[in-house]
Parts: sequence; structure tokens; C-alpha cells
Amino acid sequence: MNIIKVKDILLKELSIEFRQKFALGGIFLFAATVVFIIYKSFNNINAREWTILLWIIMLFAGLNAVVKSFLQEKKETYLYYYTLFDPVDLIVAKLLYNFIFLLCLFVIILLFMTVFSGFPVKLPILFFSGSVLGILGIAIVFTFVSVISATDNTNATLMSILALPLVLPIVMLLLKISAVSVRLLSDTAVNEDVMLLAGVNSILLGAMLLLFPSLWRS
Amino acid sequence: MNIRGLWWKILGPIIFLYVLIGGMTIPLKSGITYTSPSTAKGGASISMQVTGYNTHFKSASQNKAWLKADSTHYIQAKSLVFNDEMNATIQFDIPSIMPSTDTVQPLTLIIDNEIDGAFVQPNAIFVTFKDSNSVNNAQWQSLEDGLLHRNTSMTFPYRNILNETIRNTFFHVALWFAMFILLIIGLYHAIQYLRTGKYDHDIQSAAINKVAIMYGVFGLITGSVWAKFTWDTFWTTDVKLNMTAVAMLIYLAYLVLRGSSTDTDRRAKLSSSYSIFAFLALIPLVFVIPRLTDSLHPGNGGNPALGGEDLDNTLRMFFYPSIIALVLMGMWMSQLKIRFERLQERIFQNQK
Repeated sequence: MNIIKVKDILLKELSIEFRQKFALGGIFLFAATVVFIIYKSFNNINAREWTILLWIIMLFAGLNAVVKSFLQEKKETYLYYYTLFDPVDLIVAKLLYNFIFLLCLFVIILLFMTVFSGFPVKLPILFFSGSVLGILGIAIVFTFVSVISATDNTNATLMSILALPLVLPIVMLLLKISAVSVRLLSDTAVNEDVMLLAGVNSILLGAMLLLFPSLWRS
Repeated sequence: MNIRGLWWKILGPIIFLYVLIGGMTIPLKSGITYTSPSTAKGGASISMQVTGYNTHFKSASQNKAWLKADSTHYIQAKSLVFNDEMNATIQFDIPSIMPSTDTVQPLTLIIDNEIDGAFVQPNAIFVTFKDSNSVNNAQWQSLEDGLLHRNTSMTFPYRNILNETIRNTFFHVALWFAMFILLIIGLYHAIQYLRTGKYDHDIQSAAINKVAIMYGVFGLITGSVWAKFTWDTFWTTDVKLNMTAVAMLIYLAYLVLRGSSTDTDRRAKLSSSYSIFAFLALIPLVFVIPRLTDSLHPGNGGNPALGGEDLDNTLRMFFYPSIIALVLMGMWMSQLKIRFERLQERIFQNQK
């Protein structure tokens, strides 16, 4: 793995993203609209609904966002990349890009949720560390699945069919950590959950790094 | 016909037949399903109505009954009257002084005869004592050694709530074990496909995974029916159930992925990568998370796993063969699919 190459690809991705501002704005607008719709339909959101809605919005907005990252590029571009980069560099850069993107999305959704329906989190350190780990996990799964669905005739429906079940274990852990952090549950073993989340992430990351080169060849 | 290559195809159904016949016909040990009254006062003389299960009260000649407070304090029954093989009325004189310092003491009912052996109903009756004294307890007696009989015939353990459904162990639990063994074989072939690029490995991996998914669905169905009889609901919020539901969704997505592409090379590559990824995502789901949280299943949240009275040696005699039989039959089923796919592939190659 070459750090400089990874950084270059990452910068390239980011600059492409900022060049097409409408796509970026579209996703953030999507998030804002959904939060507003939920605020209007629930009126008064309690802590339980707050955590669940936060992650559901995050999941679907994130799915929309990541679908583009591999689907937006043409077949010829891929061939060009293939001659230029090591596959591991490329996938790490894509993953980092998706991770940063999802983190931004998370912050924005959180901001909107806070404005419209308050911020019920009582244990912020647990909440944010759990969230960052969870988002990393979501980013890994989404990146991997977008690779699979991108090589398969750019099929966006396939992406959501494959990604949602795979991401469920991570989301379940996340929901539990968030529930503890808003004091819905009191669980002394919540650190184990955070560790577990980190463990799941590293397993999935390892699998992705191993599998991507052979997928990439097609 | 090469008979030597066929042995396992014959062995599978034969073992399964053995499991079916043995698992369904061997009787349960004797147990107690119902006792009345459930409360009494110290010093009272009570007549207890007892309904047994698989008992032989009338045919047995040496029936005895005790109420047990702890390992050294017993009350022997004054008289036993048997209406039939299953129903008995037992008279007890409960002492007015109890051995421990608690004022309410649960007593365990023990019945023993030479046909059924000894069997118990824990906490059969709760006795309220006015006075407790751990010194003056002459009314209580201890149980002499060698008094209880042992049932030597082959029987399955009698467990409260489970009753006859304990036989489902051979199917429900064995199906999950067989599913995991098959998934691991499928995983091996997926890895081999990615390493060697031989299309045959993909055929094998897919066929074995499909049979494993079928076993998973059967495991869910048998578990659901079992839950209806023991926990009185088809689906509970039990963590293991939800995790398996997620696992099944992941593998159903695998089927969707395989169905989505017609290009065999690409499909092979994608689906073997996905199945490796899915299996890795499955490990924390099925093995780690349920261990950390409370569950109704044995082996989780402090419940004993495959051990203790839940899985005794008579159950083991059918449980492990059942796993072997299901794996062998699963391999046979996938073998049919594999051969079909291979022929299809050969036709396809000849067309070109």
C-alpha cells in the first residue's frame, strides 16, 4: 500500500465531488428533507425514536451517497485506473472517501435532528465513539457492495438488496450503543459492544482488502 | 456402477432413518406434570393430588414418596393411594418446625418406584411456617443411601415445559449444525474458486450454499414450531432468533445476487466474494453477540449449553448421528445439483 497514491486518489475523488456540487447538495437536501418530514409527522420525538430515526435516515441517505462512488465512473476510466494503481490503494482511497463522506452526512443529519427535535444523548463520548466506529463499518460494507454491484452492469437496485442485510449486524450493535448512550438501557457491558463493533470492522476490512484484487480484475 | 463411491449416499438416509425411528419411539423418563395444592401451612396434614407422566404407579409395588427441604431433611409420605397409572393421592404430615430460618420454604416432591426409578418435581409445594428452628427438627428425617431406584431402560430425559418436544433436538439443533458444516464446505469452495479460477469450484460452492440455506429455513421452521409449544409464541424477541433472521436475509441476498447476472464468470467471481464476506459477517452474529446477551436458548445468558440434563447420553446417541446424516444427505442433494450444472456447462462449451 502506498500512502501517497492513496492520498492522491482521495484528493481526486474529493475534487470531483466538489466539482459536481449538485449531487453533493442533493444528498444533503435529501437528508434535511427527511428529517423535516419526520419532525412534522412525529411532532414530539422521544429518545427512543430519536436514535432509531437517526440511524435509519443515516442508512438510507448513506446508501444513496455511496451508490454513486463506484457507479459514477465509466468503464474506460476503470481500465485507466487499472493501469495506474494498485487495487489495494484504490479500495483504501475509496473507503476513506466514503467514510469521510458518511461522517459529514452524519454530522449534518445530527445537526438537523438537534435543531428540530433536540439532542437526548447523555453519554456523548460513548455515543460519538460508537457512531464513528459504526459509520466506518457501514462505509466498509457499502464500499464492498458498491464494488460488487458496479462490476455487475451498474445495477443500483442490487446494491440496496445486498447492502442492507449485510449492514444489519453493524446497525444492531449501533442501535444498542446509541440506546445506552441516551440512557434508554443501562448496560455495564456496553464497552464489549464497542469492542465487538471494532472487531467486526476489522474482520470486514480484512476480507475486503483480500477480496477486492480478485474482483477488480474483471 | 461404482458402489464404493456410493456408500455415503446410502449411509446418510440409513442413519437418518435410525434417528427418526429411535428418536420418535423411545419413551421419556417418568415425570410429574401436576401437583395440588401448591401451598400449605406448617403442622398441617395434607393430601396431595399428583398427576404423573409415563409413570407406572399401579403396576409398581414399591412406590414411595418424599417431600424434600434440603439434602438432609425429608418427610416421608404417610400413605399413597393410586387411582390409576398416572394419578395418585399422597398424604403428608408436614412438621410445624422447619430446618432452615426462612419462614416460607419450597419443598421438592420425590416419587420412587422400581419400574420408573426416582423422579422429582422441584418446588412442588410452598410451606409457610410460623416457627423456625434449626436445632429442634426431629420430625424431619434424612434419606438412607441406596433407597432410590434407578431406571435402567433407555429413555430420554423428562424436562419440565419441554416434555415430548425434547425430541426436536435431533432435528432443530442438528439442522443448524449441519447448515454450518455445509456453509463451511461452501466457503472452502468459494475460496478455492478465487484462488484457482476453476469454474467447477463455483458450481460446488453455490450448490452447497443453496442446500445450507434450505437447512436454515427448515431450522427456522422447526424452531418456530418448537417455540410455539414451549414459549407459546412462534417468534420471540430472543437475540438468537433475530440474528438468524439477519443471517438468512444475508444469504437470501446471495441467491438474489446469483440470479441477477447471466455472465457465468462474473457471477462466479461476485458470488464467491460475497459468500466469503457474508460468512465473515455471520460469525459475530451467530457466535459472539448471542453469547453476550441474555437468551432463552441453552448456552446463552447463563443457560447451560450442550450438557447437563438437557443433552444426556441417550440424546447424544441420536443427536450426533443426526448431524452426520443431515450433512451426508445435504452433500447428496448438492451433488445432484452440481452434476446437473456440470452437464449444462459441458453443453454450453460444446455449443461454442
